[in-house]
Amino acid sequence: MIRLDRVSYSYPRATSPALNDLSVDIPAGQFCAVIGANGAGKSTLCSALAGFVPHFYRGRLTGTVEVAGIDIAASSLAELAGTVGLVFSNPFNQITGARFSVRDEVAFGLENMGVPRAEMETRIDYILQFAGLAGLAERPPFALSGGQQQRLAIASVLVMRPRVLVLDEPTSQLDPVGSREVFTVLRDLAATDEATVVLAEQKLEWVAAFADRVLVLHEGRLVADGLPGDILASPDLQRYGLEPTRYTRAARAAQAAGLRPEGDTLPVTLEQAAEFFA
Amino acid sequence: MSGTYGLYVVRQTGIHRLHPLTKLVYVLVCLLIGWLIPGVWSPYIVLLIGVVPVALIARVLPEVIKNTIKTAIPFAISLIIVQGLFWTGGTIVRQLGPFSLKAEGLLFAIRGTGRIILAVSGFLLLNYTTRSDELMLALSQKGLPNSISYVVLSTLQVIPRFQRKANTILDAQRSRGLETEGSYLIRMRALMPLVVPLLLGSIVDIEERAIALEVRAFSREGAKTSLLVLHDTRFQRAIRWLLMLGAMAVIGWRFYLWLAPRLA
Repeated sequence: MIRLDRVSYSYPRATSPALNDLSVDIPAGQFCAVIGANGAGKSTLCSALAGFVPHFYRGRLTGTVEVAGIDIAASSLAELAGTVGLVFSNPFNQITGARFSVRDEVAFGLENMGVPRAEMETRIDYILQFAGLAGLAERPPFALSGGQQQRLAIASVLVMRPRVLVLDEPTSQLDPVGSREVFTVLRDLAATDEATVVLAEQKLEWVAAFADRVLVLHEGRLVADGLPGDILASPDLQRYGLEPTRYTRAARAAQAAGLRPEGDTLPVTLEQAAEFFA
Repeated sequence: MSGTYGLYVVRQTGIHRLHPLTKLVYVLVCLLIGWLIPGVWSPYIVLLIGVVPVALIARVLPEVIKNTIKTAIPFAISLIIVQGLFWTGGTIVRQLGPFSLKAEGLLFAIRGTGRIILAVSGFLLLNYTTRSDELMLALSQKGLPNSISYVVLSTLQVIPRFQRKANTILDAQRSRGLETEGSYLIRMRALMPLVVPLLLGSIVDIEERAIALEVRAFSREGAKTSLLVLHDTRFQRAIRWLLMLGAMAVIGWRFYLWLAPRLA
């Protein structure tokens, strides 16, 4: 579904590349998390998948980015809308402001795509239910909490039925309650097995909970690619400026203190930690 | 102004349910007639016949009166001072020290005030009884570019957010010891640390907003649909045509009045 072949990209007037010789294949239905320190290239990768690199930010892109069979560089943003959905950090800026209720806000993308009204109704009802917003359908979008606004942003993009959903740190500007709300929606999405999702995220505990696969970026390069359990428990994580989950840290401390035997698989989720310490 | 839909006042009346264009055309024609028909009192007559009864039926008359007065008073005062006192020539009504109040100037001020009152109350009536998203949809269906309707609608919602953001920045700068009260000089100096973060923050916001709009297929060509449905009737269409014909007749008549003496 997503194919990156030797992709390098530099922002205009930047001295070092934001993406450096990146090659990766993501099959349909996979929930793929992208982790890495600030400035590692996560956001740039997200922008490249949605076509904003290079169509919005300009700059120099080499290699091939292909999403759902479309060559991003040869396409246009208008063409990509509806094929790739993008959700980013700031919930407020993702609300158009041109619609006065949650329901109308979700409809905005469908209206632009010319979806018939009857079909719009069904799709909106379904997606509001999915995102847990059904009870808020008639509320003004700006009256919602941050977590609700972010779920609205996700719903507004999902309702367009993109082939690929890209989320760029969707919870970094939310409080813990809002983050939990958003991750609950993402977990439900991961459970469907139909959606192809790329999630750039710093909160590794959530990544561990439902990602099928984890990519680690460091200074624009892909430095690790594998299952969440392997990657997140790896001792290399700290070298890339990432903090292991509290479960992994607790387990390591227990090993260092001689409470647990060395060599056991380190836990990355609460369930695994319970098993590890049992 | 606390409403969800801009100025819209939620009421269940026949006026509220009318097609937005019917109300828009009606208000514009009222304005045109009030401005074009000669006579000092014509704006007031149109106001009483055209605007007040409709506002009464729509149950927004108190709001219309209150906010029209609020908006029109500064205009009225300045008109009366400038035109009433500084009219060259004319009949003196009363001597006020070195100034003399002139009848012609006073009448001119009364007519000007009437025109402003008519325009303000007309647009308030339209906005109190019409959801701005419905009005914009109606205009889009008549060929108004989507980008213009987007700008109008988002401005209505973003300005209150912008004000809140300005207040947040102001509070943040105050807590760092910025003086914002006192003489004009102090307040002028306080402006920079407020405006710069506000503008820079807004530029970032605009970039993200543009991306969000692109994601939602805003720049896609081709026919668009709408979740909102506007109810129009043949009767309302007929009324709109009649109103526009009436307006054209008034324009023609006014043109004739202007032209006739020049041809004679």
